[in-house]
Amino acid sequence: MRSVLRKVGALAPVITFFTLFLFFSLISDTFFTPANIFNIFEQISALAIMAVGVTFVLLCAEIDLSIENMAIFSGVLAASLYAYLKAAHPGMPAFLAQCVPILAAVVATAALGYANGFGTARLGLPSFMMTLAMLLITRGLALFITKGRPFFDIPPVLTKIGSGAVGIFSHTDESGAVRALIEIPVITIVALVFLAVGFVVLKYTRFGREVYMVGGSRKAAELAGINVKGIVSACLCICGVTAGLSGVVLIGRLGSAQAGGLEDMLIGCISAVVLGGTSLFGGKGGIPNTIIGLLTFGVLYNGLNHVEIDIYLKQFISGIILLGALVLNVAMARIKTPDNAVAG
Amino acid sequence: MTNAKILELKNISKSFGGVKALNTVDFDLFEGEIHGLVGENGAGKSTLMKILSGVHANYDGEIKLRGKTVRFTSPASAMEHGVGMIYQELSCIGPLTVAENLFLTNHPRTRGRFVNWKEMYQRGRTYLKQLDIDMDVRLPMETLALGLQQLVEIARVIHSGADILIMDEPTSALSLGETKRLFELMRNLKEKGKSIIFISHFIDDVLGICDRVTILRDGRKVGTLDNADLSKHVVIHQMLGDEAKDIEESYEKDFAIHSDEEADIVLEVKNARKGNRLSGISFVVREGEILGMYGAIGAGHTLTGECLFGLERLDEGDIVLDGKPTGSISPTKAKMSGIAYVAADRAASLFPESEVYKNISVAFLRQILPFPLRKKEEIKISDGMVAKLNVKPPASSTMLQNLSGGNQQKVAVARWLVHPFRLLVLNEPTRGMDVGAKEEVMRIIKELKAQRVALLLISSEPETIIANSDRILVMCKGKISTEFSNQRISKDMLMRCA
Repeated sequence: MRSVLRKVGALAPVITFFTLFLFFSLISDTFFTPANIFNIFEQISALAIMAVGVTFVLLCAEIDLSIENMAIFSGVLAASLYAYLKAAHPGMPAFLAQCVPILAAVVATAALGYANGFGTARLGLPSFMMTLAMLLITRGLALFITKGRPFFDIPPVLTKIGSGAVGIFSHTDESGAVRALIEIPVITIVALVFLAVGFVVLKYTRFGREVYMVGGSRKAAELAGINVKGIVSACLCICGVTAGLSGVVLIGRLGSAQAGGLEDMLIGCISAVVLGGTSLFGGKGGIPNTIIGLLTFGVLYNGLNHVEIDIYLKQFISGIILLGALVLNVAMARIKTPDNAVAG
Repeated sequence: MTNAKILELKNISKSFGGVKALNTVDFDLFEGEIHGLVGENGAGKSTLMKILSGVHANYDGEIKLRGKTVRFTSPASAMEHGVGMIYQELSCIGPLTVAENLFLTNHPRTRGRFVNWKEMYQRGRTYLKQLDIDMDVRLPMETLALGLQQLVEIARVIHSGADILIMDEPTSALSLGETKRLFELMRNLKEKGKSIIFISHFIDDVLGICDRVTILRDGRKVGTLDNADLSKHVVIHQMLGDEAKDIEESYEKDFAIHSDEEADIVLEVKNARKGNRLSGISFVVREGEILGMYGAIGAGHTLTGECLFGLERLDEGDIVLDGKPTGSISPTKAKMSGIAYVAADRAASLFPESEVYKNISVAFLRQILPFPLRKKEEIKISDGMVAKLNVKPPASSTMLQNLSGGNQQKVAVARWLVHPFRLLVLNEPTRGMDVGAKEEVMRIIKELKAQRVALLLISSEPETIIANSDRILVMCKGKISTEFSNQRISKDMLMRCA
């Protein structure tokens, strides 16, 4: 009986997801339609890229508050560099003019992520404070780059990734046009690739195992000769890169880059990862949890648009539901045998 | 000791998931009695005391306190009835002062809601004086030696109204002097009519202080004996049943130690200094040698081990391994250069919520398992170690926290055996372990010796040092006071040098 309960505890995030899904499917006619399901996928994809890095950071019992502004910074850096290259080097091959800004954004966010890691692991600042400072730094950098003006000229490859779709089961209809039975957003495919890589790294590499061990007990990891500082730095660096990449992809999806406009990504991303059952205290969880969490979060945000409620109440209600789901997760995770210690 | 029975436990049984931890155990306690409770790890001592102190509320049987049947549902409810527990890991709050620790939950207050510091200090001083403890109550707890912290904790429990005091391994971390001081306090309490249950692996300590001794084996009570009838021999015999013979011998005898001075030097420590805790020590460890390092708590032997593994940094001095200086090393670099380390603090060195196999693979993960990690392969390696060290239960996939203390320690040793290394530093490897488990850990250490590994055995338990070392260094106040090699040595000789 107890082992059954414990399994239920581990399944709490899945139960939460299906409950919400069922709820919105029942009370709304427009929620459970193929178009809307893909809509949800599309909505959570950029968040998913970011969530991969956040999973690493939470697993080693740290936090990164700079992700949202890291994404914004990365987006405006890529867009501004693209604009600069087009203006200053009109003869540059289109391929290079698109790739260089993206690469620059990745390198810059990796460096800032590493700075987060350095401050946390080597200087001993709490990651909460270190990344809070980084939040301001990246926000400031983004403001400085844009001077308040949005960039509307986005590298076409990003537009394709951000808002393109790949049709499968395509066929030619009577009029000769090619029609696809299902259109999968490119951004969703990109997100799946990131999730898959994250999964493999966490589950099958020795680095991934060490992330879990560091999160499980930092002291014990140190006593086993694990390079704890290195692991923590690496996780925060990875988080910077995934946040940066999600920012780059997002400007393609939004069609513009500006120093703002990604409100809720910080809260959304961390709550999605935690909703999936990854512990804020480290050592427990993983990419499968993050996927469930993202889906739950996506269903909640999308679903509320399909029910008739006062638009000004929407945030309040999603906050309440989020809180309820988190409480449920924590309560279920606590179902353990109280007497699981062995005599001694 | 009066003849009034204050406590009676009848027919206590307790199971954990089908395994009987306690089987119809009886236990009684008189007013003003010091009652020893001994048994191997897993014999049921802790479980019995956890029932009595309200940690385990589910059990079969009956507890009678002053003639009335009671059932404690929490440590707080046990405390209300005057049953207080002093845990092996003290539960005081380091940064707070002695006085604050004495009044953890019931600070004296002014008429408002503010803490009345003056009264707290005054009452704290009186409390301690009543128990003949002399110390400054304004000092932060963490600045006191462990032995003094323990006295404060006892004072706190007594003044919260405990008549029955349960002490779990109180002497395991104490020096001889500190133990003596503790015993004085215990006798003092006994005269005041308090009853004490004393759990310990140190048979000498039990025989030195207890009026009666109850012996548990495999969850059953073997018997309760008057101290007058007892010798160490008898107690160990009763604890172990049939296995006792060899072990008894190793306790009673003096030992001949012998070392091979011709063997190659693996580790050389030159003039190692750290504050006033290590004042310039130098020594070598040779191939295939077990160097015993003995000292009382705080003598610097434990710290030496921590410095070797890079957990603490030396102010000055060199650590040379196979002729190469290791420089100022981190644990990772120490491991890479060939130093393995079993930590003094067992609980801190393991991952209780991870499986046994992950606890075993963690140290040499990068050396023994290629990408991608395969659970099957990992479990195979773990199973080999579990069998080799006789870990019980022999299941690599159980969570580590389901193992008893002694078996957890075997896992802590096992993780270093999966890959070759040059030097193994064992920091207090047998602390809190029962005789049988100690022997098993020592058997593994002897095997390593045969493989020409260098071993540094650091311990505050003289028996462990004498029975297993080829050469012995005794440390005292940060210095090496004596070296024993190629001679006969007894426990007395060793302890006299510390």
